[in-house]
Amino acid sequence: MIRVSLSEKLAAIVRRDVLTTIRYRNGFLLSAVGVLAEVVAFRYMARAIGPSFRPEGVDYFPFLLVGSGFYTFLITGVQAFLSTVQEAQQTGTLEVLLTTATPAPVLIFLSAFSAFAGKLANLVLFLAVGLLLFRVPLLHPNLLGVGLIFVLSLAVVLALGVFAAALQVAVQKGSAVIWLLGSVWFLTGTVFPVSALPLPLRWAAWSIPVTHSLTGMRGALLLGKSTSELAPEILWLSAAALVLIPASLGFFSRVLGRGRREGTLSAY
Amino acid sequence: MNAVVFNSVTKRFQHRPALFNWLGRERSGATEALRRVSLHVPKGEALVLLGPNGSGKTTTLKLISTMLIPDEGAVAICGADTLQEGGTVRRKVGFAAANERSFFPRLTARENLDFFAVLEDVTKQERGARVEEKLGLTGLADAGDTLVMKFSSGMYQRLGVARALLKNPEVLLLDEPTRSLDPGSALRFWPFVRELLSGGTTLVLTTHNFQEAAAVADRIVVLRRGEVRSERAFGRGASTDLPSTDFSSTDHPRNALPSNCRPSLDEVKAFYFQATGDGEDAPAFETAL
Repeated sequence: MIRVSLSEKLAAIVRRDVLTTIRYRNGFLLSAVGVLAEVVAFRYMARAIGPSFRPEGVDYFPFLLVGSGFYTFLITGVQAFLSTVQEAQQTGTLEVLLTTATPAPVLIFLSAFSAFAGKLANLVLFLAVGLLLFRVPLLHPNLLGVGLIFVLSLAVVLALGVFAAALQVAVQKGSAVIWLLGSVWFLTGTVFPVSALPLPLRWAAWSIPVTHSLTGMRGALLLGKSTSELAPEILWLSAAALVLIPASLGFFSRVLGRGRREGTLSAY
Repeated sequence: MNAVVFNSVTKRFQHRPALFNWLGRERSGATEALRRVSLHVPKGEALVLLGPNGSGKTTTLKLISTMLIPDEGAVAICGADTLQEGGTVRRKVGFAAANERSFFPRLTARENLDFFAVLEDVTKQERGARVEEKLGLTGLADAGDTLVMKFSSGMYQRLGVARALLKNPEVLLLDEPTRSLDPGSALRFWPFVRELLSGGTTLVLTTHNFQEAAAVADRIVVLRRGEVRSERAFGRGASTDLPSTDFSSTDHPRNALPSNCRPSLDEVKAFYFQATGDGEDAPAFETAL
């Protein structure tokens, strides 16, 4: 018998996270200053490299802005969610949360969603400051394509976040997922195009979901590519989401059962 | 009808030493936290688990709440098995854990309770009133808008009880609930707990405080090193020791004992020392009471 809807539960979790964030007053302000500083640094980096460098047919500054902004959003989302799980382990909140009437996989998925919602505000600020302050022209962006790529990318990284959380509960080292994602950033086309890589590394880059997220997002937002032109990225991300979401939730349920058997839910 | 049944439950914790254990001296093997524990709590009764630190009291509560699952034997709550029907059990059990920090420190007490009420499936229509009621019951109404990071240990403890009561549980678990309360607050807390029982709630409380056991218990189980040393139901003139075997049957003679009288402090002390074989002059760290 479900008496409170999922959307209500998600709203409660988002509210908790927003209240916690804004009550770390200085941290909240410092994050905003950090976003501004990063955009300015990228602007001068692009100017130093010069206007002749036009990766994937766009100016370097918007290439860097969208690539770095979206990549940071995806990775810090996973990181924020993992931190939530780690803090819950350290304070003992995790055990209490897992004895509520809300099933654990639902709870963990909604918490991950909320962590990404928090980072979305950062992304919007990052892009808005970059695009408005430095007047980057957006020629006919494909908003439907932007939405599709965004939702699919989010689904993939939500699954990666749940994997990280499961690894945290299982071996107290969820940060391994962050390390893995961070160590392949140069393959994803964040600051230079994948085409600059040698062929074997291009294949490796192709296998990373974030590469398709960045290519798709730049194509839809900066180049105005049609939805059919974005089909390879959309298909790749859809397939990854379909595999990773059930796999991550299954893995999480499994480690949760083990944690309950071994009494290690709050081990950190 | 029994609200809680433990049927020959064993719980072990495995120690997995580091990969290169020769660098340190971490122990390996397993600790048996509970060994073939059988007990039952009839609906509406208060069971007090009395024992020193490390006797398995908190493990028992965690097994009831589904935080842990047994290695052997079975735990049933109002007829639902904790392993097979965990979701059903979680709707019936409220657990006030001894961990004072298990709240979101930058939310107020009211915000914390409201958040947990959503996860406990308390509907929007009922939620506000429920939160206020529990804040009032635990004497935290005036502190409702204070960030819990500013709470004292005693306030945390009361907030934990308020949270456990949010779902109006059929079984309430209190893990050393007065550990951080001043003596006056503890004295006021015990009648409050007894009052909860009048509403039909079943209570399982852990303590190593004789006075608390005397004030609350209908039934006392003495745990020591993971084993039930003795169990006694206290009622009008009844102080019968019964064997710790299978209590799942409601026909068990223990269930017929009246439960509207509290044991005296001296009775509890005598029962405990008889059960453990300790004298009152036993080394302090051995009895840990």
